[in-house]
Amino acid sequence: MIRSPMNPSPPNPLPPNPLLDQFLSESRDLLEATGKKLMQLEDAPTDQGILNELFRCVHTLKGNSGLFTFPEMTRVLHAGEDLLGVVRSGHQVYSRELADRLLDAMDYVGLLCGEIEATGRIDASRALESQHIAEALRKLMPSLTPNEDTAAVQNGDSPTAAITQTALADGTATGLPQLAGIPEDAWRSAVEHCRQGDPLHWIAYRPQRECFFHGDDPLNSARQTPGLIWGRVLATAPLPSLSELDTYSCLLGFDLLTNAPREELDQHYRYLPDQVEIVAVPALWLAKQKDERNGPGDASSLPNLTHSRSENDEAAFRRILAAQRQILLFDDRPAWHAGRLTAVAAVLANLSQAMGETSARTDIQAALADALSTGHNTLLLAWLDACLASYKNVQPEASLPCAPDTDGRIPTTQAEEPGGAGLAAENDPGKVPADEGIKFGRRADDDPNAIKFGRRAEDSNTGPRSLKVDQAKVDRLMNLIGELVVSKNALPYLAERAESQFGVRELSREIKGQYSIINRIADEMQDAIMQVRMMAVSFVFQRFPRLVRDVSRKLGKQVQLVLEGEQTEADKNIVESLADPLIHIVRNSLDHGLETPEVRLAAGKPAIGRLTIRAAQEADRVVIEIVDDGKGIDPAVIKQKAYEKGIIDEATLERIGDQEAINLIFAAGLSTAAVVSDLSGRGVGMDVVRSAVEKINGAVAIESKVGKGTSIRISLPLSMAVTQVMVIESDGQRFGVPMDHVVETVRVPRNAIHTIKQSQTAVLRGRIVPLKALNTLLGIPAIPRSNSDDELAVLLVQAGNAELGLLVDGFQETMGVIQKPFNGFLSGLSTYSGSALMGDGSVLMILNIREMV
Amino acid sequence: MPIEFKKNRVLFRDEASVEEAEGLLEWLQTRPTAKVDLSACSHMHTANLQVLMTARACIASWPKSAELRAWLEPALKSAK
Repeated sequence: MIRSPMNPSPPNPLPPNPLLDQFLSESRDLLEATGKKLMQLEDAPTDQGILNELFRCVHTLKGNSGLFTFPEMTRVLHAGEDLLGVVRSGHQVYSRELADRLLDAMDYVGLLCGEIEATGRIDASRALESQHIAEALRKLMPSLTPNEDTAAVQNGDSPTAAITQTALADGTATGLPQLAGIPEDAWRSAVEHCRQGDPLHWIAYRPQRECFFHGDDPLNSARQTPGLIWGRVLATAPLPSLSELDTYSCLLGFDLLTNAPREELDQHYRYLPDQVEIVAVPALWLAKQKDERNGPGDASSLPNLTHSRSENDEAAFRRILAAQRQILLFDDRPAWHAGRLTAVAAVLANLSQAMGETSARTDIQAALADALSTGHNTLLLAWLDACLASYKNVQPEASLPCAPDTDGRIPTTQAEEPGGAGLAAENDPGKVPADEGIKFGRRADDDPNAIKFGRRAEDSNTGPRSLKVDQAKVDRLMNLIGELVVSKNALPYLAERAESQFGVRELSREIKGQYSIINRIADEMQDAIMQVRMMAVSFVFQRFPRLVRDVSRKLGKQVQLVLEGEQTEADKNIVESLADPLIHIVRNSLDHGLETPEVRLAAGKPAIGRLTIRAAQEADRVVIEIVDDGKGIDPAVIKQKAYEKGIIDEATLERIGDQEAINLIFAAGLSTAAVVSDLSGRGVGMDVVRSAVEKINGAVAIESKVGKGTSIRISLPLSMAVTQVMVIESDGQRFGVPMDHVVETVRVPRNAIHTIKQSQTAVLRGRIVPLKALNTLLGIPAIPRSNSDDELAVLLVQAGNAELGLLVDGFQETMGVIQKPFNGFLSGLSTYSGSALMGDGSVLMILNIREMV
Repeated sequence: MPIEFKKNRVLFRDEASVEEAEGLLEWLQTRPTAKVDLSACSHMHTANLQVLMTARACIASWPKSAELRAWLEPALKSAK
């Protein structure tokens, strides 16, 4: 039994849950289908068929996610489903923006899937994110139509929404809490916790009216809140008279004060993030409130912080402000300059928050945005100076604690203790404004290629006629057929023995006859199994429309993507390993190759660039070409860059031709982009591409004409399973050499071999070819044997552009073998790429030619 | 039964679930002077609390659990 050499089972921290596995794999498929349909719909916004299918996909996804406890996923999908429902009923027109948002939402769901797969759960911190995404989706819905129940709940007309609105408006549910109402002992306890450095949080929990129907018991949730210090029940709306009371409509709300960390609270309220508002209570606030409590005045009025700042606080603030100012005045511009500005802005925002001036945050954000885009921090500096000045002069009027955003989004601000603000702000991802996560900055415009995929949508209408089979099962079949081929090859040996050893000629002939039948069946079977493993390259291609759409939009370029030969098939492993190199190349083309519309028009080219990805089968190889009509690669620039980076020396710089220069882009560490962008330009692109392609026995070549465009050609074997090898003999041992590397076999008379310095060479077809004895390379203490005419057998091999003549003892047949990579200790042997079993049961070592050349 | 109705007095025992609320409401509607005994109560569903608050019911004895009492007492007293 030949064991599968590789056993790719990733370490799974959880006991396997088949249902969950199935859910994840189905979700992936559904997400993919959803993404595809969303893009199709962009071109045919009124196509009811696509819409219906899209709706069904999202609906199924949502339903499936409900089977597990993934409320975050369900929430986003639910919002998406509602939105699609409105589109389907014709109340909302499908737009590019809609598509963008829905695509983003689906990406988010994909992200959650990945998280579930990796950790088995969704982090509680996702609750708020998902809430924002769902809200953003719902905002795209038109104001409600009376008979759309689900839409109604979310559009501000429902009782819940109304309550939340009023609650927000009267200030009870937003900003920093009024702590005046809390009893003295709870107060002391809070202060005590605060002194110990515990985080204090104020939670305003406003259950939905219909929450009882969801099985919620808000009082219970409130009682179970972690770290509870104090809590109270309040009516969120005036209680009706006893005769009018609806028992099943929740009119109560809760205010809670806890010392549990934010994560724990998020975890506790993960099912109801839309119903709770969690606000960090800064220590300073607590202290000020204390004054408020003791002092005269209306306890319910919003406290005025500025007037009660102590001298010490003032000094501390001034020191912090001065430090930030100093930072802003640095005139060096390191790579992390943007990060520094962001940190300063975060400190300032937190500072002003701690001072109760939450409205300043927007000013700071604006100033930061300006500083980041222009590179000048004048605005930030101006704000800071104004702030500093205001402390020195008459204290300004305190602004009210933060009011809700105009769109009613619950503010996610967090306050820090002023002393810790500088440090804490440095690295707090929570400081990113929540809506940044929702719009990834994609804008929609034309994507004329989506028509290309119209066909595949129809294909899927035929229903699932395929089986989902675990790859391990197919691999097992593959191994078994490999064994069969090997055992089958033993039959001719047997036939020969029957004849030569036992002299039964008749039997020998019969064995040979049977062998040919088994041989045919085995071949067909092998072919059939290979077919199972074959996958259309569309698997990789299908992600390009989205990639090209997003990237070109980001770069402000117009690109038409043309995909050809998507149905070309290759082995699954080959197709899968193709994905990363192709993405690299496509990104490169978009970033460096294709120009912006203005540049193109100026160069007399059509404004829309053209990127063609073409797959085709040529003999036993798959050839993939990525062709763009962009500005091409200038060999002179490459040469210069390579010289500057020390990849080539001065002599080479003078010597190499244009084509060789262009090939330099495959060298490690070379980047032609003047600026490093988030797309490319770090110089780790093309050499990674080449090594990835070569790992699967492929080859990559590039052609480019300045001003005309670039064409990259990747050629790959159809399958990695069967390798054609030539068997050679050396010192009585047999070795296999992959046919891909074999150029020719020649016999060279001993006297035609010349020794130049230490190396042997021979002139073959007018070229000087270095010769090396295989025995020497493998450390076998024997000299190559010559035949009776004193000629040496030379196997001319090639790897990349280098050629080498291997001196061997003799050549044997070529055969197809199933190559097994080494594992364990042997995997360190780079001289061999693997081993294969021969028909007579012996092991054939396959030489790794790349190592020798 | 978690809620036991006497002549003019209602007794809460252990946990009162959401299903009891309707019955409690009906019962209280006909007995404006009824007294509520919460001493054996360990938890009541929000719906029940809401009914008690709306009815401004007279609480004869508070829950033994100090924690629950801290929740209920201010709520039921303020509703009064």
